[in-house]
Amino acid sequence: IQDDHKLSTLELEEKYGTSINKGLSSARAAEILARDGPNSLTPPKATPEIVKFLKQMVGGFSILLWIGAVFSWISFGIQLAQGAESPFDNLYLGVVLALVVILTGIFAYYQEAKSTNIMASFSKMIPQQALVIRDAEKKELSADQLVVGDIVEIKGGDRIPADIRLIFSQGCKVDNSSLTGESEPQPRSCDFTHENPLETRNIAFYSTTCVEGTATGIVINTGDRTVIGRIASLASRVGNEKTPIAIEIEHFVYLVAGVAISIGVLFFIISVSMRYKILDSIIFLIGIIVANVPEGLLATVTVSLSLTAKRMAKKNCLVKNLEAVETLGSTSIICSDKTGTLTQNRMTVAHLWFDNQIYSADTSEDQTTQPFDQSSPSWTALSKIVTLCNRAEFRPGQENFPIMKRVVVGDASETALLKFAEVILGDVMNIRARNKKVAEIPFNSTNKFQLSIHETDDPNDKRFLLVMKGAPERILERCSTIMINGKEEPLDSEKAEAFQTAYMELGGMGERVLGFCHLYLPENEFPDTYPFDTDSMNFPTSNLCFVGLLSMIDPPRSTVPDAVSKCRSAGIKVIMVTGDHPITAKAIAKSVGIISATSETVEDIAKRLNIPVEQVNRREATAAVVNGMELKDMSLQQLDEILCNHSEIVFARTSPQQKLVIVEGCQRQGAVVAVTGDGVNDSPALKKADIGIAMGIAGSDAAKNAADMVLLDDNFASIVTGVEEGRLIFDNLKKTIAYTLTKNIAELCPFLIYIIASIPMPIGTITILFIDLGTDIIPSVALAYEKAESDIMNRRPRNKKKDRLVNEQLAVYSYLQIGIMQSVGAFVTYFTVYAEQGFLPSTLLGVRVDWENNAINDFEDSYGQEWTKYQRMYLQWTGYTAFFVSITIQQVADLIIRKTRRNSIFQQGLFRNKVIWVGIFSQIGIALILTYGLGHVTALNFTPLRFQYWFVAVPFAVLIWVYDEVRKLFIRRYPGSWWDKNMYY
Amino acid sequence: GLILLFYLVFYGFLAALFTFTMWVMLQTLSSDIPKYRDRISSPGLMISPKPDTALEFYFNKSDSQSYAEYVSTLRKFLESYDDSKQSQNINCTPGRIFDQNEVAVKKACRFNLSELGQCSGKEDDTFGYSKGTPCVLVKMNRIIGLKPEGEPRIQCTSKEEGMVEINYFPPEGLIDLMYFPYYGKSLHAHYLQPLVAVQLAINSNSTKEEIAIECKILGSPNLKNEDDRDKFLGRIAFKVQMTE
Repeated sequence: IQDDHKLSTLELEEKYGTSINKGLSSARAAEILARDGPNSLTPPKATPEIVKFLKQMVGGFSILLWIGAVFSWISFGIQLAQGAESPFDNLYLGVVLALVVILTGIFAYYQEAKSTNIMASFSKMIPQQALVIRDAEKKELSADQLVVGDIVEIKGGDRIPADIRLIFSQGCKVDNSSLTGESEPQPRSCDFTHENPLETRNIAFYSTTCVEGTATGIVINTGDRTVIGRIASLASRVGNEKTPIAIEIEHFVYLVAGVAISIGVLFFIISVSMRYKILDSIIFLIGIIVANVPEGLLATVTVSLSLTAKRMAKKNCLVKNLEAVETLGSTSIICSDKTGTLTQNRMTVAHLWFDNQIYSADTSEDQTTQPFDQSSPSWTALSKIVTLCNRAEFRPGQENFPIMKRVVVGDASETALLKFAEVILGDVMNIRARNKKVAEIPFNSTNKFQLSIHETDDPNDKRFLLVMKGAPERILERCSTIMINGKEEPLDSEKAEAFQTAYMELGGMGERVLGFCHLYLPENEFPDTYPFDTDSMNFPTSNLCFVGLLSMIDPPRSTVPDAVSKCRSAGIKVIMVTGDHPITAKAIAKSVGIISATSETVEDIAKRLNIPVEQVNRREATAAVVNGMELKDMSLQQLDEILCNHSEIVFARTSPQQKLVIVEGCQRQGAVVAVTGDGVNDSPALKKADIGIAMGIAGSDAAKNAADMVLLDDNFASIVTGVEEGRLIFDNLKKTIAYTLTKNIAELCPFLIYIIASIPMPIGTITILFIDLGTDIIPSVALAYEKAESDIMNRRPRNKKKDRLVNEQLAVYSYLQIGIMQSVGAFVTYFTVYAEQGFLPSTLLGVRVDWENNAINDFEDSYGQEWTKYQRMYLQWTGYTAFFVSITIQQVADLIIRKTRRNSIFQQGLFRNKVIWVGIFSQIGIALILTYGLGHVTALNFTPLRFQYWFVAVPFAVLIWVYDEVRKLFIRRYPGSWWDKNMYY
Repeated sequence: GLILLFYLVFYGFLAALFTFTMWVMLQTLSSDIPKYRDRISSPGLMISPKPDTALEFYFNKSDSQSYAEYVSTLRKFLESYDDSKQSQNINCTPGRIFDQNEVAVKKACRFNLSELGQCSGKEDDTFGYSKGTPCVLVKMNRIIGLKPEGEPRIQCTSKEEGMVEINYFPPEGLIDLMYFPYYGKSLHAHYLQPLVAVQLAINSNSTKEEIAIECKILGSPNLKNEDDRDKFLGRIAFKVQMTE
């Protein structure tokens, strides 16, 4: 890092070839710009669109389907060479399979692109302007045109356009929170104050903001070479972890592909050894693969996730990466910021002390009145001081806004006092106008008080009123009396003691305390023409009358305590990580419940037992407040120990860099970690986290870029709704997958029985695709709308290793139980259709070779009738249609039973999820269209079907429903039993 | 252990259920006629002998081995038409549908082999193959209850003109209506479907050439012979190539 902060102005001018008064010449600036490039951060390298697209084409089941397509084309080639009659069937099948892969790939790509686009809007920023001296003239330039050596001027409210070495400053303060996380504005001057360029006062950093004052400086770093730029490029180097749902889906794909390949290969071997031709065996293999692969499922999962993402966006959680939807549900630790996330990010009066008593004020976001007792005359006096001794003002033209939402010109504490007074007294500006200000001494850091002198609004009282506020101990020093119940009483040691106790108590709550006092100047000494002079202070500033204390805090958002307790019951550990002072941090942690009322830190125990901290048994302390300074010296092991042993942890005074260390520590415990952040420096931690959550309002662009999710309202409670949605979608995806997998068996069995028993083919490959990509799609998406079965927020987060999306029970129950029942139902329909047309089941066994022989056109049925090949084929397609219809009918039952995994359907309500019914009607509607509408299109292999065949499988559908109800009943009745363990998925 | 038992019971139950529903379904069926016959509304045509290679006859008229299989197939096929097998069959009134709906025991009509003339195998036991006048029997698929209208007859044409002269037995390839309707295997046990023999007198200078023959059923409005998709519905095409 450079040592520009150590150089003198002259040395700097020389180093950068510039002049403080004239700046660079335009020509020179253009040269440097050409050399260094524009002053902007290089966006992280995006994967080329074509690579993203191709990835969709080969991911998941696509490879299996490509293999199927290639086999189809190979067998087409062989058949064509052999001169077989209908080789084009296989060509078409291959084309259809390829189309399926390409279309689902395009769909997934489109979905992903859509969610990325939401974010693109964020990165479009209004181009920033900078005031630059060039060619001895002041110019407004776009900030990305800045070069090293430029002289820039900044004023309060500006964003610092580059790393700048200050050469002139007037009351300049910067907010470095995006860099260091410290929310307190820091003064900036031209003086070299620290060896470390990050700590010295004469450098202002790119992307921080100037809060007040003005300054002029020389640009010393631009673009990626700025401090922020270097951190941003560090963030892009932190690897992206796979999301839990991606791992689950991969696991599921492996499982299904494993089943498909092993059954395929097994039956390939069986059919070869049964002396089928190799070519036929290959065609069987394709059929088995197509039957086993749930072609529509991955698209369904994407749709379900994006539906949830939409729902979450409505609740102010904007999800950038679809898979992050579920990650939030598996979260077991949330590392949350304090300011703005847990708190309202504005100072608010929390407590008052007058008449020897502490009063609590309402700190909620939408206060309109204050409930504490306002009858005491002391309060009247105090309120007058609060109103008058205050320089903050409302921006004009906001009369219609609620008081708490109005914009105020002034610092945080004065703003708090102004709003407090406005809520109680109403129209503060009018009160001030009636009590004309005649003199004023603003707050400064040497005397630590603020003073003003006013005329009173009582026309009979010609006295001037002197009001003063400031640091309580300094104010008390200047007082000789204290107001109790409106009467001035001498300030004796007892009363001073009471003041001390109150002051300590309020300070101990992490609040910023101010003291207030006043004095009515005697009319004879100070007539209304008296010339008050603030420089010589020709008026009394001691022996005043102490009136009271007010303490302020950035109060927690009112929804946060509830959200934290929800997290707690959901088994999620909330860790506060803040740059603030430990006392404030602990106070807020206590008030929102991150540290619960009964738990103690090691220090608390030590204090209670009156023993040194070292003697306390660390295991007894459930809570811990860790200072950033301590953290710096800790080994990883010690950090792990703290994370392990304490359930309630607050990290205070931490730098954003330490956030990364904490996140890594949590991940070492096997936790799924969510991290909130807004600063640029948070971006490595956001990226490292399993789910990074950036703040939509306060967040920097770098943070939003690194995050997986953006909280539009910066509210912690929104995370909790996100967690709920995430858990729900995990459960519902389980149901979707179970639903989809079931019918795979009903699609697979026909092939296996066809090979083994040599019956006419019960269902065609194209027909299977119509189920997987036609009738089943909408119902499986509909399961994403299913409500939770029980309070999902009372469960512990799922164990990444044990609670899989697709577990053994799910696969076994779907494949070996419901799937087989469906197959039986479908086969009954199949045999019925053939028998009623003249082929009794006994005739069908072993007929495959003759049945499929094109030269046999007098094939005899069970009644002595003779069939041509085409007549047989047409009957076979009727069989396909019947099989298809039976699967569809039984899938309706399957859909209904998948609504719940444990509860009875009647507990869940059959009609609560309307979308399920949309699914059922769509399913039946599509089947009707296919059979009766498209029944005459030969290529699709559907034929119009007699209406009664729709009902053959109905008893089996009912059986599936009843059986599943019994299964659930036993699961509920006998938790932990053999049945529960084997049947609950 | 328990899991195996469970699946044993589970699949046992399913198997029983499957068997039961199949049994119930079969109970609803008649053993005489199938419930529906809409998938075979019109009959297909088929020939005998039927070569293994897709309906193409290749033979050398001087080499008896080359057509031995055709001859034996024909002989076997005609066995059931032998007079001795037709002792129970009755002589029906020609030219009329032989309706036996009211009769419990359905009679079969006699089909005299002599109707096939030179193709009956009685005069020439090589069915003309040795003389260069091969016989092919054309038959219409059996369909229960089918009653042809009009005067159905088989007519064959060759695309290549002048290569072959076609003779029919019975004359003009007529199919007599008295053989209809068919009442099914169980009711109509001795039923014999009517045959038409087609004798192809191949022109001596057309040997070694492939002759494409198409036979169609004509003269009956309710027997289809021009379906786009089903190439065997009321018609059949085959090829003959004879060498010397």
